[in-house]
Amino acid sequence: MTGTKHAEIVVIGAGPGGYAAAFRASDLGKQVLLIDKDPTLGGVCLNRGCIPSKALLHISKVMDETKSLAKMGVTYGEPKIDLEAIRAHKDKIVSQLSGGITQMAKVRNVETIQGSATFKSNSELNIETENGHVSVSFDKCIIATGSTAAMIPGVPADHPSVLTSRTALDLVDIPERLLVIGGGIIGLELGQVYAALGSQVSVVEFLPNLLPGTDPDLVKPLQRKLKKQFESILLSSKVTSVEPNDDGTLTVTIENDKGTTTKVYNKVLVAVGRKPNSNLLNLDSTDIEMDERGFINVDVYRRTSVKNIFAIGDIAGNPMLAHKATHEGKVAAEVASGHSAAFDVRAIPSVVFTDPEVAWAGLTEIEAKENGISYEKGEFPWAASGKAIAMGANQGKTKILFDPESKQVLGVGIVGPGAGDMISEGMLAIEMGADADDIGLTVHPHPTLGETFAAAAEAFSGTITDLYIPKNKGH
Amino acid sequence: MIKEIILPDLGEGIDGAEVSEVTVSVGDSVGPNDTLLVLESDKASMEIPSEMNGNITEILVSEGDELKPGHLLMKIEVSRDETEPASPIEEQAPQEAPSVANITTPQETQIEKLDSRKTLDDSPITSNVFASPGVRRLARELNINLEIMNGTGQKGRITKDDLNGYIKLQMAMSSGNVSAPKQEVDFSQWGEIEILKLTRIKRITGERLQRAWHTIPHVTQFDEADITDLNNYRKSLNNESSDKNIKITFLPFLMKAVTIVLKEMPEFNSSLDHTDQNLILKNYYHIGIAVDTPSGLTVPVVRNVDQKSIMDLSSELADLSSRARDKKLKPDEMKGGTFTLSSLGGIGGTGFSPIVNPPEVAIMGISRSKLKQVFDKSSSDFKTCFMMPFSLSYDHRVIDGAAAATFTSRFAKVLADLSHYKD
Repeated sequence: MTGTKHAEIVVIGAGPGGYAAAFRASDLGKQVLLIDKDPTLGGVCLNRGCIPSKALLHISKVMDETKSLAKMGVTYGEPKIDLEAIRAHKDKIVSQLSGGITQMAKVRNVETIQGSATFKSNSELNIETENGHVSVSFDKCIIATGSTAAMIPGVPADHPSVLTSRTALDLVDIPERLLVIGGGIIGLELGQVYAALGSQVSVVEFLPNLLPGTDPDLVKPLQRKLKKQFESILLSSKVTSVEPNDDGTLTVTIENDKGTTTKVYNKVLVAVGRKPNSNLLNLDSTDIEMDERGFINVDVYRRTSVKNIFAIGDIAGNPMLAHKATHEGKVAAEVASGHSAAFDVRAIPSVVFTDPEVAWAGLTEIEAKENGISYEKGEFPWAASGKAIAMGANQGKTKILFDPESKQVLGVGIVGPGAGDMISEGMLAIEMGADADDIGLTVHPHPTLGETFAAAAEAFSGTITDLYIPKNKGH
Repeated sequence: MIKEIILPDLGEGIDGAEVSEVTVSVGDSVGPNDTLLVLESDKASMEIPSEMNGNITEILVSEGDELKPGHLLMKIEVSRDETEPASPIEEQAPQEAPSVANITTPQETQIEKLDSRKTLDDSPITSNVFASPGVRRLARELNINLEIMNGTGQKGRITKDDLNGYIKLQMAMSSGNVSAPKQEVDFSQWGEIEILKLTRIKRITGERLQRAWHTIPHVTQFDEADITDLNNYRKSLNNESSDKNIKITFLPFLMKAVTIVLKEMPEFNSSLDHTDQNLILKNYYHIGIAVDTPSGLTVPVVRNVDQKSIMDLSSELADLSSRARDKKLKPDEMKGGTFTLSSLGGIGGTGFSPIVNPPEVAIMGISRSKLKQVFDKSSSDFKTCFMMPFSLSYDHRVIDGAAAATFTSRFAKVLADLSHYKD
């Protein structure tokens, strides 16, 4: 397949940002070439991230719910786990979605090439395929090659017992004892999966909180649940060494202010964040500029310092989230096709798909306090929601942060089952500039968890009847 | 660091506006989007927001001042980290160096350029304006700065209707020259038709005439000249002439006579300058002659007519008109005229009103000469004269009616006086 090609727009990376960019550009009439190093489209998100992890999290959540039914008078026997069947189920979901993207590329006439792309210049790429080199010249290029799990020094990264989010999802076995290094989103999600499947899970986090940066009131219900599910949660603690043993286990030394402990784990999952894949592109042959962490610098149009080359998604900076990448991909495709577009959003939502889910959008209380931004808050505890109580989700909470003057929504935080779906209404409120009355006066269906969003606004306005709030405002 | 706050471009069609309110005072601390001034143009009121954080140190405008974009409004002491506002709006357009392989037709290039301009001149980030994502996108496409818009939606929300209204206002304010597109009429419904493409000359002269007719207030003065003696003299010259190829027409005499009158009345040999404030008098006499050619009207110019004899002019005219018919005139030969003569005398008609050929200010039209009974005061009897009807159209901004009447009667006299041609 050696040869040369030209494309009006080349997209490198077929993840949620890359394929969105390719398809949008194609829909705008451009001749598009989509390159990915994997045989299947969809990137990390679809093949080794969001989607397979959600397939497993669904299983662990249902397993947990069956246990909670005991309190409601229904008991099941011990679950039997067929690891091979679970893997097959997960793989089927992935291949179904990936096949869908391949199909959509076909009907749009988006040409795809499997191979690793490296830059030769500001207008040329080399693609290393199974069957040889292909040289591609382009008018515009969109880089969407994403990120890779970061490692920490002192950990034998190649040891089979050392997992990353990617290998953890392969579900090779259920280790008896699993140590998760990193109490962030990925660590907690996968920790919960392995705990449900029978591992004794410990989490070690360097900072004093789980989900660092998230408002503590939203983390608290999750943390309470994890305490029951996990063997231990070690905060403000540091892994100083991971030593392989002859039997395949790992001896891990953890330091904190109480001293140093050494324990043996069957496996260690390193989930300390991700780093951009900018080192794989031979960017030195271009004039593309990066920051010190390896993120490609981009402007509001997602153009790099080379104006015909765009960068989107994880490689273009935080937050490393699929929905941010998708939106950026469309912006880049539109600008590259000569349209007026810009990355002009008020907020990007974050969701932790644990049980309970944690979701937030816009301003957080931590951010507001750090930056001296004044806000007022409306909160609704799910303990006052009929639906939440019926579901056994009375630990949940919905809160909205308002601008003290305009009463417009600045931020939303939700914890509880379905928080990730409910945050969308908060996003819409932020983008539309909705205020407390707009939300409170919108009729929400009963009984749902969604009505807690209106209730939080009403609690703020003082018009709520499902709570009693001593009179200090309202009509 | 002290920075200057300059009045930004207020949008197309708004050249200036009056300060209706200054909303800050010296010493005030302002942040991005805080209103500094309220301006009132003929049709819209708009707020001018600050783009920086800082303290106002000086205010250089006051209520009632008439401002134009670029006017220095205020000075502001900005905090150190604000000295470089990271405004992506100010970024340069992507330089698309056209490589040889990339040469496109001019039209395509135009479109490409327009696109990049559109993408880059817009205001991409709308920070604090009260507008939904859809309205923000539309504003970006229409290149409208939402920060200066007043929303009419609930609670001041900017709506798509507001954007449409803004566009309509802009159109109305700049629509002076916009004419409604002409309606296409299907004439074939009433009978057989044939479509003939206008020649290039016709299209160009058409535009010029249209513009002249629109911009010049025309008046036409009619008169007649007794050319009985002139006609006889002309005939005798033709009979005496050794070169039988050159036939002397009336035209060289008309040119000679008109030049003499132009020297006496210099405002007829002038142009208005581009500001319409000054009259430029010309001390040279280049007479344009309207020539009808198969492909349209052309006006070759005969230079320095005052310095040329009737014979010189005759041969020059013969040359110019034959080359005009063969489309062999050089562009320079049709420029620089100071006055134009248009003769339909060879064809017919009793009078017509020609259109002034700008930047000239007057044009003479000649119609068909006739034998007429004219009452002669000295003999108290009628005598038969060869009379030439002619007209003078003039730019009334430059020439008034009395001057025009003087010009035509003077011309009639000079034309009839044979002494002018015998030198």
